[in-house]
Amino acid sequence: MESEAIEPRAFDREYDLAELLGGAPLGRLAPIFSALLGEYRLVSAGGQRLLGRAEPFAEPRRAAVRHDLEPLGFLESEQADEARLAAAAEMVGLLLHLSARYHMAAELHIETVREDYAALQRKHAALQESEARYKALSEKLEERVKEQVGTIEAAQRQLYQAEKLASIGQLAAGVAHEINNPIGFIRSNLSTARQYLSKLEPLAVPVKAGDMARCRAVWEQGDLDFALEDFASLLRESLDGADRVTRIVADLKGFSNVDKAEEEVVDLNDNIRFAANVVAGQIKGKAELVLELGALPRILCLPGHLNQVLLNLLINAAQAIQDKGRITMQSEAAGGEIRIRVSDTGCGIPAGNLERIFEPFFTTREVGSGTGLGLTVSRDIVQAHGGRIEVESEEGTGTTFTVILPVD
Amino acid sequence: MAEFDEISRKITLKLVYYGPAQSGKTTNLMRLHDLLATDLKGEIMTLETQNDRTLFFDLLPLGFRTPSGWLVKLKLFTVPGQVAHDATRKAVLSRADGVVFVADSQRAQSVNNAEAFQNLEENVQRVGLDFSTLPLVVQFNKRDLPAAQILSEDEIRQRWAQAPWPLVFSSALIGEGVRETLVRLLEQVYPALDRVGALQDTHGVDRQAFVAAVTGA
Repeated sequence: MESEAIEPRAFDREYDLAELLGGAPLGRLAPIFSALLGEYRLVSAGGQRLLGRAEPFAEPRRAAVRHDLEPLGFLESEQADEARLAAAAEMVGLLLHLSARYHMAAELHIETVREDYAALQRKHAALQESEARYKALSEKLEERVKEQVGTIEAAQRQLYQAEKLASIGQLAAGVAHEINNPIGFIRSNLSTARQYLSKLEPLAVPVKAGDMARCRAVWEQGDLDFALEDFASLLRESLDGADRVTRIVADLKGFSNVDKAEEEVVDLNDNIRFAANVVAGQIKGKAELVLELGALPRILCLPGHLNQVLLNLLINAAQAIQDKGRITMQSEAAGGEIRIRVSDTGCGIPAGNLERIFEPFFTTREVGSGTGLGLTVSRDIVQAHGGRIEVESEEGTGTTFTVILPVD
Repeated sequence: MAEFDEISRKITLKLVYYGPAQSGKTTNLMRLHDLLATDLKGEIMTLETQNDRTLFFDLLPLGFRTPSGWLVKLKLFTVPGQVAHDATRKAVLSRADGVVFVADSQRAQSVNNAEAFQNLEENVQRVGLDFSTLPLVVQFNKRDLPAAQILSEDEIRQRWAQAPWPLVFSSALIGEGVRETLVRLLEQVYPALDRVGALQDTHGVDRQAFVAAVTGA
């Protein structure tokens, strides 16, 4: 230990006379000795004078001043008698005894205080060390947690991206079907139209020559009355088909802004109709899709995200129906809330699974046919809008999902 | 360790009575003061006590002159037994030439005895002494208490069978075994003293004479 103020000395060491009388007021002792003994000297065992006459006596009487077991010094006098001298020495012995007690207690005390202090310092150092260790550990932990959170977030982003891609894939399949159908009959109509056109070709020569009989013969031979009539209806149908494709493409644009996190004020019934349109082709012949839409207030939302939710619920509903069934989409506004209900008459969800359907990766479908994130993502989206999704289901009867959104 | 002072021709030894609180360490010293007929016998110095319990230490100085004219001075100390006074206990134990461990024979005190003994072992090491070579006597005190209350001698002997230290049964209150305890300790202390200070060759004191001189037998 550095800079120790008090250098401790062993409390149990051998004390000498000077040390033991060190604490006593020698100035007051001197006149007492003089009064008792006349001329005197107090000398240590080693012969050193502590009090009294400077020069040694020629032939003094001596009395040992004892402490513990041995003489620590002597009182000398020529005048005082033996008894007086012995009594005075005894008195000094008593002083020494008291002084020794004081010295020993004081020095033992210093020793223990110092020891306690050293022990405290050792403890303090140990505490500081362990504190530093914990600090380092906690810093490391924080770092690790941050790292882990980063990893989890990245994985989550990837999964959500995957889910989005999956739903876009489903959408694309629906859209392809929807477009394929009109394109198909437009093409067939056009090829029929080409045949009609080739029937009209032989009319060109007789018309130019003014040969009406020949014209009539060609007309009747080619049954051009019917061809003309059918040609018109072919074109009408084809135009309708082209309009349908245009509409689908327009709807598709609505979905293409899934990633565009821009808020818009919309009438959610439009989104319901859009989702129904997209799915309609996929469920044709399997399920009847019924829309029962009430008037809704326009709300500020992320329409692309809500489209994803509605599409998810519709596709789930369609998949729940095995043979034939009905899907009903209802909307209503009441009590400051918009409620959108998607009900199906499908297989229902077993009670045991009902609590788990919103858990990430929970799926009852075959591996690879779904990410298990559809409802998780849907719930997250709805919660981000300050709303919630409720579910009611009965096995064998059907399921109803209700999306509840606040009207701000 | 024993001090050899060539100038004042003095050998100073320190013996320490250690043990759990209220096992009779101070009583040992008081009885020794009464019983021993040592040539030089000082007064017992008792530092502060509180309800008869030692706070600092007690000290009994004993001594004799060797044929060579040297003074052999023994300082018998007691430590405070209470757990709280460990720093004091350690300071008193420093530089000890031998230790008497005063155990309490009462059954109820077994745990306290064990803890105090462990504390002794730890403190011996802390003050830089070697526990394996330190002269030590284990004294089981309070044999005067009713048999039902105390461990029997057989039980104690069995428990301490593996220990290398002499075992003494005592009743410090009535003075039994107190002198024997000291004798057993002195017998162990002597060889080291002789080795360092040539007690026999230079000072003409053999082991028997040493023990006899200290106890005044």
